Amino acid sequence: MSFLAPLFFAGLVALAVPILVHLTHKERKDVVVFPSLMFLSRIPYQAVRKQRIRHWLLFALRCLALIFLALAFARPFLDRPAAAAPVRSLGARELVILLDRSYSMDYGDRWSRAVAAAKRAIAGLGGSDRASLVTFDLTATAATEPTGDKGVLTAALTGLKPGAGATRYEPAFKLAQRILADSRLPRREVLLISDFQRVGWDGRDSPSLPAGTTVNQVDLADPKTSNVAVTGVDFRRDYAADRERVAITARLVNRSADARAGHSVTLELNGRAVETKQVNIAANAAATVDFAAVPLPAGTTRGVVRLGDDALPRDNSFYFAISRGQALSVLVIDGREGAAPRSLYLERALEIGDQPSFRVTTKRLGSVTASDFAGRSLVLLNDSDLPGGDLGRRLVEYVQNGGGLLVALGDRAAPRDRPAYASELLPATADAPIDRTADRGGTLGYIDRSHPIFEVFSAPRSGDFSTPRFFRYRSITPAPGDQQLARFDDGHIALLERKVGRGRVLVWSSSVDGIWNDLPLQPVFLPVAHQIAKYAAAYADERPWSIVGQVANLPSIFRDSIGAGDAAGNAEYVAVAPSGQRTRLEGQDRRSVELREQGFYELQRAGSRGEPRVVAVNVDLAESDLTAVEPQLLTGAMIARAGADSLSSVVEASTPVELERRQGFWWYLLAAVLLLLVGETLLSNQLSRRIAVPR
Amino acid sequence: MTSNPLPGLQFLDPAVLARIGNLELVARTVVEGFLGGLHRSPHLGTSIDFAEHRAYMPGDDIRRIDWRLYGRVDRYYIKEYEADTNTNFNVLLDVSKSMSFGSAAVTKLDYARTLAACLSYFANQQRDRVGLITWDEDIVEIVPPSAKHLPNVLHALARATPQGPGNIERVFRKLAEQFKRRSMLLVISDFYEDPAKILDAFAQLRGRGNDLMAMHLLDTAELEFPYDGATSFEDIETGERIPVIPEYLRDQYRTMIRAHTERIEKLCGDQGVDYWMFNTSMPLDYALFAFLSRRQFLTRVR
Repeated sequence: MSFLAPLFFAGLVALAVPILVHLTHKERKDVVVFPSLMFLSRIPYQAVRKQRIRHWLLFALRCLALIFLALAFARPFLDRPAAAAPVRSLGARELVILLDRSYSMDYGDRWSRAVAAAKRAIAGLGGSDRASLVTFDLTATAATEPTGDKGVLTAALTGLKPGAGATRYEPAFKLAQRILADSRLPRREVLLISDFQRVGWDGRDSPSLPAGTTVNQVDLADPKTSNVAVTGVDFRRDYAADRERVAITARLVNRSADARAGHSVTLELNGRAVETKQVNIAANAAATVDFAAVPLPAGTTRGVVRLGDDALPRDNSFYFAISRGQALSVLVIDGREGAAPRSLYLERALEIGDQPSFRVTTKRLGSVTASDFAGRSLVLLNDSDLPGGDLGRRLVEYVQNGGGLLVALGDRAAPRDRPAYASELLPATADAPIDRTADRGGTLGYIDRSHPIFEVFSAPRSGDFSTPRFFRYRSITPAPGDQQLARFDDGHIALLERKVGRGRVLVWSSSVDGIWNDLPLQPVFLPVAHQIAKYAAAYADERPWSIVGQVANLPSIFRDSIGAGDAAGNAEYVAVAPSGQRTRLEGQDRRSVELREQGFYELQRAGSRGEPRVVAVNVDLAESDLTAVEPQLLTGAMIARAGADSLSSVVEASTPVELERRQGFWWYLLAAVLLLLVGETLLSNQLSRRIAVPR
Repeated sequence: MTSNPLPGLQFLDPAVLARIGNLELVARTVVEGFLGGLHRSPHLGTSIDFAEHRAYMPGDDIRRIDWRLYGRVDRYYIKEYEADTNTNFNVLLDVSKSMSFGSAAVTKLDYARTLAACLSYFANQQRDRVGLITWDEDIVEIVPPSAKHLPNVLHALARATPQGPGNIERVFRKLAEQFKRRSMLLVISDFYEDPAKILDAFAQLRGRGNDLMAMHLLDTAELEFPYDGATSFEDIETGERIPVIPEYLRDQYRTMIRAHTERIEKLCGDQGVDYWMFNTSMPLDYALFAFLSRRQFLTRVR
């Protein structure tokens, strides 16, 4: 038995108080009125009897209360629980040391305490015992095979550091389960060294350990934690003087009970500090920091938002990679020269988009040249004839090479005058439009809400497609392979998709000018126009960052430069991790790379000398919530699964403070003090009541 | 507390009766209830018995002529009965300050007041003349004995207020002059006097042919001395204070109070004075039973 604060034993001096109280017969202030003192006055007053202690039970209660109070304040604890000591008389044991190396173990001195606990466990191995060291975060890895060689185990510990992953207990238990199941030693034991973060356990049943397994825990969780983290960044792009700028907003969270004032937040772009701001964050609250807009340089920009240091530095840096060109360039061909412009609604709808933004260029058919297709994400033929001649062939090539084409068939899009190549891009279209003015217009009768265009409208009350009225539209006949995305209420096709080469052609069988229908006047027009344009342009949100544990899909990252050999899966890549570790990825099985480190990964095709693709990787911020789960809950789940006679859970801690916190004897002592004081009150009241007071 | 001598009469709790307030109601309730409890007792039944016939004399009430006898002998005869109201019943109640003591709900004076009311009521029912004398160091109030004075007695009992020290010797010497006629005297007191002085006082009255009974009332606290903790005790009559550690004195005190009561009892026995010591926590029927036993004895010997 040891004590955290033995100085509080000085409080035992207070024992003198009850001794004096019980020795001294203090005369009561209230006088007892008695009928006659004729007998009492005859009895001699014996002052010497004052020296005797009265009411021994009351005296004992008071002394015990004081002693227990002093003990409670002295914070007693047992140095080493008896059950935790290795039992050598019951045969050899198979010990699996599960060492948590999630990045939260970087908090304070947790890691050094964890290593010390593991070393103690290794030192406690008996001659015939065996042990395995398993490290785990998102995944579990056996650092050693089961061995009785303490040197091997200790060497495996050397050089280990917390990783960048989040905590997951299940893989660790599964690996321990497998190791223990393969063991033939009579005793099986698991030592779980962890900070027992709540995020690591979802409350479901853990894998059951073999019957008879003992689970010991080293709980490294701190009773009070403080952590500030950058949880993400938002980008707002704009274009000024044809230059793309980005304004970055960082989101911060303070996961502690204390407010943080004057915390410095720095934005770094390409390794250079651009701006530093001071921020105040209330306790258990979030805050945002807006940085001034900066022009984006060419290529990929590596950005980091850094916070000042705290006990957990891993989540103080947030990495991202952004590049120019996120705006979709759209060419609108608005009929021939001299015709009335009919792209007003469409232009306005696209111009107000910001995720992505659209850079719309409108031209008449006669002024379009082949160079206008270059760099375009989308060409929009709005109620226009198809270009003929060489321009038409360039348009087909543009689509086949991955360009997007959206065709709106209004009254000016005369099907009978289509050039020969048109059948490659467009479905057959009837010359005469279908007139629904007699029945006050048709409506959309079917929408493929599983399609990426309409997927966002699949939730209830998101997009009212019943309101738009369609007075005229063209009847189109789909070819095999064409996909009907929307139909009118009479069954005619409203929107059709055709894949041409690597590009997409979308055909809208009515106009977008508000003449053949009132769709542009309906609220749903704006989002549906954006969705159709994004899909036709094959726009995919660029992920500015990934999370540790995710996988980078290399063909997707290099899709804009993929060649014939790449499509066959023969491309080779080189991945350089933030730590500088270089990995060559070859063959069909190496089309992805697991992101296990925080920072910037550089990915490059083998042999290429171009600029590498950059993938920013951040830690899983769920791990920055340091709330701990009761270790007994976690191991209790295993106990329940493993059978009633299988485990005895023993709590072991590494420091006196931790031992005392886990054992918590002072609670029991204070409870005993409370009971003693209640007893003292009752007893003293009873003794007081024995004095009958006359009226 | 002694066990109840008459099963079924557990309702004569002094604390309950003290809350009634109306002494006549209390007395009637207690006495009638008590007599109901004694209904089968062979020792009771002192009624007005026929004594003799005597010849009619002019001046006699013609309502007393035995007309049935006249029918047989053709002479006027008057029926005479055993004397019916020939006893005075006097209660000599100590109202000194010490009687105001009570460790529970009932003080000694409350208990004595109720006891005196009950016994007076009972005596009045028996056609005795009832009277009351309250005293402390002197005579406080006198209600002369009369068959019609029960209400006066009850009123005097109700307004009796404890005050002043007691002096039984002096009072009883003065009282000896009051009783011209043979009386039954019931002294109710806590008798905080030297037993010899008490007996001297009794002797003053006993010598006049009075039948004397003494009821010694003491509170439980006076008998048991259950106090704890060092404190000062103040004499309720004199105001004198002395420091006391009760737990050390308790045994001696008990011994002394027991010796005191035993001494009084012995001396009373020697003098032919009936003596009872009552704890005020005892039910009233215990005291009533003691009294009636005495009455039954007196009837038999008369």
